[in-house]
Amino acid sequence: MSISEGASLPNAQLARLGDAGPETVDLNDYIKGRRVILFGLPGAFTGTCSTIHLPSFIATADEFAEQGVDEIICVSVNDPFVMKAWAEASGADAAGITLLADADAAFTKAIGMNFTVPAIGFFDRSNRYAAIVEDGIVTHVNVDEPNTCNVSTGQSLLERLAA
Amino acid sequence: MEKQDDGPIRVDLTGLLKGRKVIVFGVPGAFTPTCSSAHLPSFVRAADRLRQKGVDEILCLSLNDVHVMRLWGEQSGAIAAGIRMLADSDGALARAMGLAWSNPDVGFHDRFRRFAMLVEDTTVAAFHLDDMGVCASTTGEAMLAELK
Repeated sequence: MSISEGASLPNAQLARLGDAGPETVDLNDYIKGRRVILFGLPGAFTGTCSTIHLPSFIATADEFAEQGVDEIICVSVNDPFVMKAWAEASGADAAGITLLADADAAFTKAIGMNFTVPAIGFFDRSNRYAAIVEDGIVTHVNVDEPNTCNVSTGQSLLERLAA
Repeated sequence: MEKQDDGPIRVDLTGLLKGRKVIVFGVPGAFTPTCSSAHLPSFVRAADRLRQKGVDEILCLSLNDVHVMRLWGEQSGAIAAGIRMLADSDGALARAMGLAWSNPDVGFHDRFRRFAMLVEDTTVAAFHLDDMGVCASTTGEAMLAELK
């Protein structure tokens, strides 16, 4: 399946680094009854993800909060240690953005966003998308073409909300 | 693979080892506690002394991508110490060496066991493998002791 408006998100076990080490986050439980943004990208510490995509949500975090968004969640096929290091280095932690690791790409594959480019060492990484999810149902989703970062930015998703 | 200033490149391991004395060590993951606090720093400390004893190159291997390896190498001081940070992006080398292990609970799939070896002209002259959860026999200091 792919991610589409009106559909429920598949459930997934994602991971994050807690105070006591890696912990599992059941996505369905985590987002139940809440309005959240979920966005995906190819990888922590990569060029466009670090310079454009993640910063676009750091820049718009306050505006999303004003629109009633409870939490902004970034998902990437990395492990929870790398995601934590990236959250600290990028300022995402400080902006209140949650980074969750889809370490085995199960969620990314379940929503049909996975891509592989062996020449750059990427296997089942995530294409860029950004979705607004209300109580587990996708109400808005923007998916970028490979190698672009336009409609999946925080600013583009804000425009969808305002429209 | 390795990320250089102009982007990711493919590194031929045999080419790096041929006719040279090389230390190769592998770790479970960039930015993980033991790897960041003990294993990699031990080679940062020992790098100069290893080279004084005739080591031509020190290679750090991990199943992470090149972007993560590069940042980890910069933040840890490893790149400044002349250690090359190589990504076994798909785990092919870890599996081929029989050193792959997985722990889905922490998001690890086919990661390297913690090891260090001295390779002389592509022949393994010394090989150290640590028990799971331990970083003792695979440190930079332990490899220094292997060099005459």
